[in-house]
Amino acid sequence: MSDIKNDAPPIRHLMMGNEAIARGALEAGLRVAAGYPGTPSSEIIETLAKQASKHNLYVEWSVNEKVAMEVAASASFANIRSMCVLKQPGLNVAADFLLHLSGSGTRGGMVIVSADDPGALSSINEGETRPYAKLMEVPLLEPGDFQEAKDMTKWAFELSEKIKNVVILRTVTRLSHASGDIVMGEIPEFTGKVEFRHEGFIIDPMEGAVMSAPVEYKHTLQQQKLAQTVDIFESSPFNIYNGPDKPELLIITSSICSLYCREAVSLLNLEKRVGILKMGTTFPLPPQFMKRHLSLTDRIIFIEEVLPFLEDEVKILCAEMVKDIGIKTFYGKRDKTIPMVGEMNADITLKALADLMGMTYQGAPEDYKKKAQELSFMKTPGREPTFCPGCPHRASFFSIHEALKLDNRHGFVCGDIGCYSMAVLPCGFQSIKTLHAMGSGTGIASGFGQLKRFGMDQPVLSVCGDSTFFHAAMPALANAVHHQSNIVMVILDNSGTAMTGFQPHPGLKTSAEGSDAIGIDIPSVCRAMGAHVTICDPFDLESTKETLLNMMDENKGVNVLVLKQACALSPEKKQKQKYDMTIDESLCQGESCGCGRICTRIFCCPGLIWDKDAGKSKINPVTCAGCGVCASVCPKGAILKKEV
Amino acid sequence: MKTSSPGSLKTDIQDRDLCINCGACTELCPYFKSYKGKIAMIFNCTLGQGKCFAHCPKAEVDLDELSLFFHQKPYDGHPLGHFKSIHVSRAGETMARVLFQNGGTVSSLISCALNNGVIDHAILTDKNGILPEPRLVNTTEDTLHCATSKYLAAPTLGELNKAMQNKLSNIGLVGTPCQMIAAALTRMNPMNQDGFKDPVSLSIGLFCTWALDTRKFMTFISSKMEIRDIKRMDIPPPPAGIAVIEKDREIINIPLEDIRPLILEGCSVCPDMTAEFSDISVGTFEDNPEWNTLIIRTEKGEQLVEDACKKGYLTLSDLPEKSLDHLLSGAGMKKKKAILKAGTEGLMNTLDNSKPAVLRMPESLIKTITK
Ligand SMILES: Cc1cc2nc3c(=O)[nH]c(=O)nc-3n(C[C@H](O)[C@H](O)[C@H](O)COP(=O)(O)OP(=O)(O)OC[C@H]3O[C@@H](n4cnc5c(N)ncnc54)[C@H](O)[C@@H]3O)c2cc1C
Ligand code: SF4
Repeated sequence: MSDIKNDAPPIRHLMMGNEAIARGALEAGLRVAAGYPGTPSSEIIETLAKQASKHNLYVEWSVNEKVAMEVAASASFANIRSMCVLKQPGLNVAADFLLHLSGSGTRGGMVIVSADDPGALSSINEGETRPYAKLMEVPLLEPGDFQEAKDMTKWAFELSEKIKNVVILRTVTRLSHASGDIVMGEIPEFTGKVEFRHEGFIIDPMEGAVMSAPVEYKHTLQQQKLAQTVDIFESSPFNIYNGPDKPELLIITSSICSLYCREAVSLLNLEKRVGILKMGTTFPLPPQFMKRHLSLTDRIIFIEEVLPFLEDEVKILCAEMVKDIGIKTFYGKRDKTIPMVGEMNADITLKALADLMGMTYQGAPEDYKKKAQELSFMKTPGREPTFCPGCPHRASFFSIHEALKLDNRHGFVCGDIGCYSMAVLPCGFQSIKTLHAMGSGTGIASGFGQLKRFGMDQPVLSVCGDSTFFHAAMPALANAVHHQSNIVMVILDNSGTAMTGFQPHPGLKTSAEGSDAIGIDIPSVCRAMGAHVTICDPFDLESTKETLLNMMDENKGVNVLVLKQACALSPEKKQKQKYDMTIDESLCQGESCGCGRICTRIFCCPGLIWDKDAGKSKINPVTCAGCGVCASVCPKGAILKKEV
Repeated sequence: MKTSSPGSLKTDIQDRDLCINCGACTELCPYFKSYKGKIAMIFNCTLGQGKCFAHCPKAEVDLDELSLFFHQKPYDGHPLGHFKSIHVSRAGETMARVLFQNGGTVSSLISCALNNGVIDHAILTDKNGILPEPRLVNTTEDTLHCATSKYLAAPTLGELNKAMQNKLSNIGLVGTPCQMIAAALTRMNPMNQDGFKDPVSLSIGLFCTWALDTRKFMTFISSKMEIRDIKRMDIPPPPAGIAVIEKDREIINIPLEDIRPLILEGCSVCPDMTAEFSDISVGTFEDNPEWNTLIIRTEKGEQLVEDACKKGYLTLSDLPEKSLDHLLSGAGMKKKKAILKAGTEGLMNTLDNSKPAVLRMPESLIKTITK
């Protein structure tokens, strides 16, 4: 990660999009930032946390996104600038609060940075931020490159303060995680004393109570703020038209897609025939500005990712203005010129433009895709997604799977979000059978556990991580206990928010800024909620399995099994092997009857390799993490472990 | 005998409810395990042939081949199988008087064999709560601990596989007829393993008409009482017609009609009541349940019984003619029913490329037995 700290302007710096957003916030005089980790947003809070003491900020990883937004809002109510950072699914979590927040309005500038992951590169959804702006009636900004990521973030705070409402800034994976050149600005010093003013007239926006009631009054006010926003957007420098005066085709685009459009137009030499309207302020669209550009031509194509948001908004405007601008022909997602799902790229854009402009686009040769596929299939070893060497999840799911099979009543696991989501795949022995949102595994299990009365006699398990436990699983557990749902909840406690890079959570004794925090003991919480709790080391396969079997047997109420073992990549474990692993070839049975090479065919830790020629398994000393679990997996005792 | 894959054992035997949880496919590998009376396949195994399939007494058992191996004679369909002599017996004066199932013949013979170097270990069936639990023993004391019958099907053969893995030999084995078949199949070295050595020196089979499905029984009984309160369960010989459950201070009789639905499906196609593939078979002497009916089948068996009588482990007497007739008709009836059922269910002598047969025997014999 580059050093975003202090370099005085006009220094240029290569920066990741997320760092640019953080820098923009610093330059805006940000004081409080709160978020919950989630790819591709996590680096924003991480970057800010590192600057906290130097620039006098308060930065926290909150328990979940709703609380993060509430924490950030409090600072705004105290009239200082604040930011809430989340990935899009987190916006859903916070949506209830956001509805009320947008109704109550804000004081100090408050920006919500919401990161979308088109193509679900590291998500299990393609959730869209943009419709939320419309739903919540708040402004939406979409930076189109790295410099804009910084500048727009800074400007978003000013806008928020001007209209006294929260502003959403939407980023996407390819902007957040790619890097570009940034010209830096000054970071202001903070002076003064903060106070929450509440003794004025009850509906006074700066001194009264902060709330969304009286609804009719506040809602009207909110809409006036949007109207004010439209005025401001009319002259926004973030909406840029590039192209001829009378283009044959107008591209309307936003966000990172604007780069694909520039590339496509340039590659096809269409600069004189096609214009690009890059919108930075995508909700509410400024009608006068739009009208000027919509009047340029009659053919319009929309290049955007996931939902046809711009497309729909522009079409509404066009309908309203048809008398002035005439009838248009639209191309985009609705007419299937552009796909409705997945990421956009320059190639899709090129193809669409070429077709519309009557050109033949000689992109990749016809059989290129086939050839590439063939080559990658023939020349590279098959690699399924899998858990890291030494990952506690592999051991946990090995035991969970075995217990479910032994139990033999078609039991199953309800899962949620974490590295362990991968247990829907062979690396987790396909144990997870429902996979939804944070904490949903336990909520769904709580429901399944009630279906006994309708004759369902399958054991019901749920899994959730330690961070997820605090984030969203506690209410589900409370529900299950309260209603005596018959379930086993397995908490895969690997001591951190491992998937997104080890951010702390309320169960740990440190905060985002690295200072002391109070760690909340998960087993005690579960016990206090009324569950029967057992703690096991997942590396002890036998006792984990036995415990699970007994819990499934019990057949009443909620049993919680906490499987405690730090992530193989956790700072405390990294580079440290507990055991030196070797294989006694004379004992290894390999593929013959009696083993069928369970280690490299089923368990499949990347630390183990199958030597085809020798017909024996081997330890890969480079990848082996020395956890020792495979020694208990081998039925012949051929895998030996020696403490180091 | 035809040996198929672990996958076929799962889909064609276990999933068709033919498995009787004998345990012959367990303790061989990480894939088949017995838990609470039911065999589970933990992970799939991709081998084309497995010992699991080869050992299974419900998969491709060619009775002729088995008989030639065990008795050096073809299978002839006699209700009691091949045997040398039949008697009644009970524990002799050397034996402690503990609670035996009947006359204590089984425990006495095993004790005698252990104490006189005929065997070094015995694989018996103890219990843990109400669940039967296979156990490897070396002493009379432990043998007596395993006395009495457990009516839930036990995975006893897993203990034999385990013993073989641990390279134990000179083992005495006690089990039901299906377990004796599985043991004989195991001893045939069906996968032609190098350096194979028959680990079993003595096999004592128990008479059996059926055993109970553990899970069905547990569901049934848990609706009537707390399972952990059950001290013992017994099924007295006919004409009692009841199962007796002993709790701490209470004895509960349950009519056998209520119990019958809990019998393992696989038992209905078992043609063997008297454990025809063992050295010695022991059952209840129905005229006097304090005694056993004893069938001696092999020279080894003959030798042990003689020795046991001489050393005071066993007392022998003659089996009345009437009782023999009764035994013959009981065993013959079971055989006939099983073979008819296997025939109508398509589990007998199936064609080569269809699902595996449970049993194979010459067509002519089928006709004689089912007449
Ligand atoms: C499931 C079952 C059904 C039976 N059905 C009949 C029948 O229909 N007619 C009949 O005449 N006899 C039947 N018997 C046999 C009978 O109950 C006695 O086991 C036999 O008479 C020997 O008595 P004993 O006093 O010598 O046994 P003991 O000296 O008390 O020894 C009993 C032995 O049986 C073994 N054993 C107990 N339970 C099991 C089990 N589930 N699986 C394998 N081994 C076990 C133990 O290892 C022990 O060594 C059955 C036995 C069982 C286990
Ligand atoms: S009958 Fe025995 S060997 Fe066959 S599947 Fe069942 S337990 Fe395994």
